[in-house]
Amino acid sequence: MLRLAYFPLLQLLVRQREAQTRKARLAVHYTFKLFIELMRVLGILRYEIRGIEKLQRPGLLILANHPTLIDVVFLISLVPDADCVVKASLARNPFTRGPVRATNYICNDSGAGLIEDCIASIQTGHNLIIFPEGTRTPVNGPMKLQRGAANIATRGPCNITPVTIRCEPLSLTKGLPWWKVPPRRMQFTIEVKDDIAVQPFLDQSQNEPALAARQLTDYLHNYFSTENQAHAGA
Amino acid sequence: MTKQEMFDRLSAILQETFDIDADRIKPESRLYEDLDIDSIDAVDLIVKLKPIAGKRLQPDAFKSVRTLQDVVDALYGLMNDPAV
Repeated sequence: MLRLAYFPLLQLLVRQREAQTRKARLAVHYTFKLFIELMRVLGILRYEIRGIEKLQRPGLLILANHPTLIDVVFLISLVPDADCVVKASLARNPFTRGPVRATNYICNDSGAGLIEDCIASIQTGHNLIIFPEGTRTPVNGPMKLQRGAANIATRGPCNITPVTIRCEPLSLTKGLPWWKVPPRRMQFTIEVKDDIAVQPFLDQSQNEPALAARQLTDYLHNYFSTENQAHAGA
Repeated sequence: MTKQEMFDRLSAILQETFDIDADRIKPESRLYEDLDIDSIDAVDLIVKLKPIAGKRLQPDAFKSVRTLQDVVDALYGLMNDPAV
């Protein structure tokens, strides 16, 4: 519906690129909100969200762990002006091209310029959502973080707003087909935590962003892994 | 500058900027697989190598680089090529 009616209309009626982007992102936000509510009403999942007021600020770098397929749907449903990085192939796929172009999400084909694009987006006041793992957390085996997200933080520089996502029983994971439904209703717990300041990491590394990004990535790895552990035990 | 001197400078940069242990830095070490240098680091590395070469470095010159020896060879080639 959005693809066929709303986005082409938007392109016709709203001439200004910036306004078009904002309206398109808002449409995705409400659609995802609707999707989550539908899933809740149908009894497929339940959710609890803590600390949502911390997301009501512009220019955030939102980093989250990535247990399930629908994490990004949840996060965008919580953030009206969300920006995110999409696989460049989605901007060429005829089925996904429309929304990806209309929302002006950042494409990951710009190579080294990607970090700069991300920083620019945050500095314009958008809230950028990134999963530092780059893909869903493996069910067995350790979590592995890419350093891109930390590089955005140290080079911005911008503080990090961490979000932890837990799904019980764990479902929609990597390697599991999405139609394999869990035995019980999924319970999502999404918690927006306090910001992580980036300055201490820059101080520690004598303002060497590459080095600071390594230390920050280690810190985040520890941060998100402990969160997962605490959940596993709970 | 000899290739050995270049390698020593490269080694110093890798230790200072990317916190890589000296004993992992060998000519045959692969940047991505052995030293965990990603594409973002590679851009930083080229910026740091610029003062050694004393001229503009095009990232394209490092496209086929895999090991530290390749970096030194590419750099040496650029410095001793009057056309560049």
